This record gives sequence, C-alpha cells and structure tokens, in this order.
Amino acid sequence: MITRATTLVRLALRNLRRYLRRSLLTAAAMIVGGGLMIFSLSIGDGTHEQWIESGARLGSGHITIQAPGFQATRKIDDRLSVSARSAAEAALRQPGIAEHVVTSVPQLAIGGLASSPSGARPAQIVGVDPVAEAEFSILDDKQTEGRYLEPDDRLAAYVGAGLLEGLDLRIGSRLVLTAQDADGEIADQLVRVVGVFSTGVPEVDQALIHIPLATAGSWLRSGDDVTTIAVLADNSRAVNRLSRSLRRQLADEIDTGRLTVLTWREASPELDAVVRIDDLGNYVWQGIMFGIIALTIVNTVLMSVMYRKREFGLLQALGFTPRQTGGLVITEGLTLTALSGFVGVALGVFLTWFFFRDGLDFSFAWDEDWSFSGVVLDPIILPLFSVRRFVQVLVFILFIGSVASLYPAYRATRIDVAESMKFER
Amino acid sequence: MSEQSAAAVRTEDVWKIFEQEAEEVHAVRGVSLTIEPGEFIAMAGPSGSGKTTLLNLIGGLTRPTRGDVWVAAQNLAALSSPRLARLRLEHIGFIFQAYNLLPVLSAAENAEFPLLLQGVNGGERRRRVQELFERTGLAGLEDRRPGKLSGGQQQRVAVIRAVVAEPALVLADEPTANLDSAASDSLLDMMEELNRDLGTTFVFATHDPRVMQRARRLIRLVDGAIASDERRGSEPNR
Repeated sequence: MITRATTLVRLALRNLRRYLRRSLLTAAAMIVGGGLMIFSLSIGDGTHEQWIESGARLGSGHITIQAPGFQATRKIDDRLSVSARSAAEAALRQPGIAEHVVTSVPQLAIGGLASSPSGARPAQIVGVDPVAEAEFSILDDKQTEGRYLEPDDRLAAYVGAGLLEGLDLRIGSRLVLTAQDADGEIADQLVRVVGVFSTGVPEVDQALIHIPLATAGSWLRSGDDVTTIAVLADNSRAVNRLSRSLRRQLADEIDTGRLTVLTWREASPELDAVVRIDDLGNYVWQGIMFGIIALTIVNTVLMSVMYRKREFGLLQALGFTPRQTGGLVITEGLTLTALSGFVGVALGVFLTWFFFRDGLDFSFAWDEDWSFSGVVLDPIILPLFSVRRFVQVLVFILFIGSVASLYPAYRATRIDVAESMKFER
Repeated sequence: MSEQSAAAVRTEDVWKIFEQEAEEVHAVRGVSLTIEPGEFIAMAGPSGSGKTTLLNLIGGLTRPTRGDVWVAAQNLAALSSPRLARLRLEHIGFIFQAYNLLPVLSAAENAEFPLLLQGVNGGERRRRVQELFERTGLAGLEDRRPGKLSGGQQQRVAVIRAVVAEPALVLADEPTANLDSAASDSLLDMMEELNRDLGTTFVFATHDPRVMQRARRLIRLVDGAIASDERRGSEPNR
C-alpha cells in the first residue's frame, strides 16, 4: 500500500517536472492566489486587531469583569463588591492567566449629567486610577489641551472636546457632575477641567469624562467598589482562551451571581458585527478569486488528462486500477497545489512584510478622525501574521487543488483502455 | 471447468462489435479458441482482421459484445474493473508495437513497474531486473530514460517489463513492427528463450513473417474470424 502511494507521488512529481511549462503556469496561478490571500488576510487581520485594540482601549478592555446586570443598566447599583473585585484581581494574577494580561484597570463607570453655566449634557462618567488608566487607555494620547489626570488629583476632570464645546468650557473651568449615588440619592460633584481629548469618535468625545477613582468613590458613596475591571490581553486572539480560564477560576463568583466575565465581542456587539461582516466580505472576495483559479486548474489538469490518455491506458494495462489512475491525477493536482501553496504563502508573507511592515498608509483616503462603532480607524494599517492563517490558507489551497482535480480524475478513471492505446500523440 | 482451468486462455464464441456512425463493425466474429500453457502462438492476418481486438479481449483491455473469455481459469466478464486490473497485474504481461514505456521513468524503473505495483520489495525488484537486463544485453542502460534508448533497446525493456513478474501469459501486439531485422531476431530469440526457460505462454498479433515462422502455432484471422489454426513443431514448453 505504501509502495503504491510512494509510486503515485513519484510518478506525480516526475510528470509535473516533465510537463514543466504547464506545471509552472498552473503553479503561478496558485502562487499569486496564495500570496494575495496572505496579503489580504494579514492586512484584514491587522485592521481588525487595530479596531479591536482601539475599541478595547477606549472602552472596557478585551475582557470586562463586571456585575451581571451592569451591561444593561449602567447603574451603580450593579457594581462589583469589594470581595468580588478581590477575587477577580486574584484570578488575574494566576499563572496561565497573568502571562496573557498586559494590564487590568478598575473603573467606576456611571451615566450622569454634566452641567456648566452654559447648560447641561448627559455624560458617561468614569472614575479611574490615573496611573493605571494612562497605561491602559489611549485617551491620554488623544489629549489636545491641558494634561491627563495625575495621582494627586482630587477634583480634576479630563473631558472630551465635544463636551467641552457643548458646555462652553475651557481648561480650568468648573463643571458639576450629577448622578445617582450608591444610596439611591442624587449627588453632585464639582470638578475642574484639567485636560481635553479628541478621539474622533463623536459618542466618546461628546460624553466621556474621566475623574479620579477616589473622587468618584466618595462622591457616589461606593467606597472602594468598582463597576468594572477592564482587562487588556496581549492580543485579541488570546481573548477566548483567557476568558475561559477566568470563568473557570471565578466559577464560584459567577455561579452566585456576583460577577460576570464578558469578552469584547459580548461587551461590544456592534464592533463584533462589523469585524464579522468585514471578514465575510474578505472570504467572499477570496472565494471568487479562488473559484477563477480553480477553473484554471480544472482546465489545465483536464487538458493534461486528455493529452495523456495513452499513458493512463498503459498504466491500466500494466495493472493500475481505474481508481489508482484517478488517484494519480489527484496526487499530481495535490502535489502541485501543495508546492505552490507553500511558495505562495511564503512569498505572500515575505512581500507583505517587506513592503508593509511599517504599515499600509491609507491617510490619502481618510484622516485620523475616521471612526465607527466607537472605534477610531487608524489610517496606517499594520499587517498581522499568524500561523493559524498560514495553515488556513494552505489547507484552503489544497482543498481547491483537490476539488479542481476531481473531475479530471473522474475522466481518467473512465478511460477506455483499448481505445486509448490506439491514441497517437 | 477442468478444461478451462488447465488452459491458459479459452474463448467461447467471442464477438466484438463496434458502432461507428450508426454502422456496426464486426471486429471479432464468434472466435472460440483454447491456448495451452507454454504455447508460442502467432495470430496473423491483414489489417482489420481483428488480431489486436482479439488480443485486447484476451488481455481484458476491452470486454466482448458476446461470448466469454477465460484467463487463468477466471471468466473476465465476471470480473469488476479493479479485479480485472489485478488479474492483468498478476497473470498477464503486455508488449506493444510502440513500446509504450513511461517516459518519466528510467529503463530499470519501467522494467520493475509491475513488481512495484505487486508490492515486491526494492532489493528483490533490483535483483530480478538486473538479471534480465544482463540476460538481454541491456546491462549498463538501467538509468537511461526511454528517450535515450534505441527502438530495439526500448522494446527489450518493454519485454522485460512484460515478463519480470513471471506472468503466465504475455500478449504481444506487433512487437517487431518498428524494429530492423537484426533487432527483431534478437528480440524473438529472447522471447523464445523466456518461453523455453520459464514456460511463459506468448501470444503474438503480427504481420511479421519472422514471427510467424518461429511460432509453433499459427492462427490466421480473416474478417474477425479464425480462417486456419495450424500447429507445428514441438509441444508447448510447460
């Protein structure tokens, strides 16, 4: 059996070499297809990674640990207790989890009202640890005036440019924050604008305010409680594994309804939908491209079968079964696609890395303020390479190669041996 | 049944009818024939007399329109395509007019091909091929591709391929047609020797008077039917 399999491979390789021009032409189509696929997937993955990273750093991380009802209510009543927060922080320090956590930050986030002498606006107020948040969030990088919060700040506020404009504020202006506190009472807090940011995301710039966590705790009478622990993973692909580990580690707290663990897909369903739709678009485009390549392969391999009728007839006269004859055609197709697949992937990776390792610059098409679904679109897209994608592309190319060889292989099995032996080249 | 078991080949009222543009062409008409093991037979006749078709029917390369063909005591009509392929691999060797070597394999690889398909190990394959190459004067040409061999050398490789697995039956379709007289004689010597030494049954379809002269049984075909069946010389080499 092994002898026959190696015979098929040996014959296939030699036939491919014998009909070198035809083999190279077919391989070229596969190589270009594989290379383009790697380029397009790595750029697509890089884009998605940037979207997800932007969404995570502007919001509540790749993974969010919060009280079960908080996602829907955004009320301080649905906050994490001190013990639930401690359990979550301990879980984040566990081996197997800690390695994948870049940073995690406590946040006390509530909906409220921001008022100035010029008027009032609904606001998303987030109490943050200034040092930890500066490492986690991209808001400090988006600063346009003043400065970000500092550890000694007490009555400082870092506000979005849209809100600043809407309330006619400037650096040093005072504004009053109003929200329901932990006792259910309406409470006010006077703060002073120390810095302004502009992300380009209107819903963020017109509503978000960062204040020190300690100030928020005393204002809202929630002590050291927080509503959210936002976790930043080393990359978005680690999120599922990390969330599973956290859920295992925090099973008791989850079962007793003290907290829940949400991935960015669950916490930001709009972003999840956009990523999935964009992925689908990429797959459809690649499907069409490979459909065309598959037709080329069918045509080439079929022509080869017709041209080599006499050879296939001879093989059957010598003892090849029809199935083995078809197997030879498929082996040739698979060998060719495997070789071209490897070359295509390698070439795709190399060219994408060589030309675009510093990013594919789309700033001619959109500026830095482009945004959607709460994420900022960076006009410079960095390709993202992953072994999983390379394997996917190779498997896909092999699949296309074998499917495209099926019909020619079927034709080879149906050859009339006696007739084919009459066939003169 | 015992007669069928003893015979190398037996055909019973075999017909092969081809349809060509709504017209029926009777290539073989009711041929009944018994070939004993070890025979050295020539089937002669003009072009279109049905020699090659009869050879193809015996080799299981095509199926009869009517009638039965037994080879190695097996009725070919009852065999599926894979079993027919197995029968060809184990019991029949083919030699074709146009040599039909696989161009991508070397001379030795072409010669050992049936053994490879039978799963014979590499050492044994090389030993058998080497022995036959030496016996047929091809030693030293093992690694040459068919394109680098003369017609006579290619046909010798084809003969080695046909006999290397020691099949009971070798079917040769015009094996000397493309060879000069010296190469033809040398090839026929070789096949006679194999017939004598191994008891292999040889059936030739031929126009070549040299082959007819050496055959110990000459069957003449005319219009797809046996016109004469003449036995001469010694008994079959069993």
